[in-house]
Amino acid sequence: MPKRERLEIIKDILEVVKNNRAIKMTPLLRKSNLSSQRFVEYFKELSDKGFITESVDKHGKKVYFLSEKGFRYLEKYKTIMGFINELEL
Amino acid sequence: MQDVMEQLLTISVGMEIIYSFVIILCSLMVYYGTKELYELTNHKGIKYFRLSFLFFAIAYFFRSFIKFLVYFFGVNAVREIPQFIAPLTLFVFIYASSMAVFYLFYSMVYRKWENKSYLFHIFAVIIAIIILLSDDASWLYLGINFILFLLLAVGICIMHRNKKENKKNRFFIVYILLFAFWLLNVVDILIPTIIGTYQLTVYLISLGIFMLILFKVLKRAG
Repeated sequence: MPKRERLEIIKDILEVVKNNRAIKMTPLLRKSNLSSQRFVEYFKELSDKGFITESVDKHGKKVYFLSEKGFRYLEKYKTIMGFINELEL
Repeated sequence: MQDVMEQLLTISVGMEIIYSFVIILCSLMVYYGTKELYELTNHKGIKYFRLSFLFFAIAYFFRSFIKFLVYFFGVNAVREIPQFIAPLTLFVFIYASSMAVFYLFYSMVYRKWENKSYLFHIFAVIIAIIILLSDDASWLYLGINFILFLLLAVGICIMHRNKKENKKNRFFIVYILLFAFWLLNVVDILIPTIIGTYQLTVYLISLGIFMLILFKVLKRAG
């Protein structure tokens, strides 16, 4: 499997969050196919940028949702990749 | 006869203003049109690409300002303009134009040379100082610009060749043309007689290149 690039990894993580609606940290780490160290880096970046938001479920556990900005990223992902490839950036 | 000359001069200044306005507009549209893509991704290639067009807009503004000053003071070249305006404007123009081509180049090679953008600022300042201090040395201006073009063109070709096959396209040729015609625009300011009767052709091709890039950006970025 070829090495995923940063933007593709972000897309994959956001898609996992989107498909699960509300997801806990451990299953998100497992489904993202990243080492825990890299996952923490990406997760922090996505939280800081406001792509995912945190909430607490009825059992008092932290769960994560996709924010509006996260949806926008997924919506624009193909455009972004097309832009980067076409302009050779 | 003097009336005809004055009319020609007015047409020429009018042409310069329209030319600069269209290119500044194209550059700013590229800059603002890619704002969302950059905010979503923080992609360095997009960052330097955007900065390049911001510098193109600044450089073309100062280029048209120099042309206006030459017309206003009724002189033949920027160095004949009296007072401190000439060196200051020329410095900003050369610095901004060098940064524009450097950033465009860096948007393609940043993966190989990470966090080296400060070097381009240093080179741009050095180039501007050399041109400012050298008094009417046409060969020097031509030499600097020719070497700059050669380095950038060769660099881009090497980068393109090293890219993965599925990520290759022919857009790098547009960048090389952009560099070539941009340098002609710079040389036109430093040595006004060099382009001569080909000025309109150079302007039209330069406009075509900027519009092609804007078209690609708008098509992709929306």
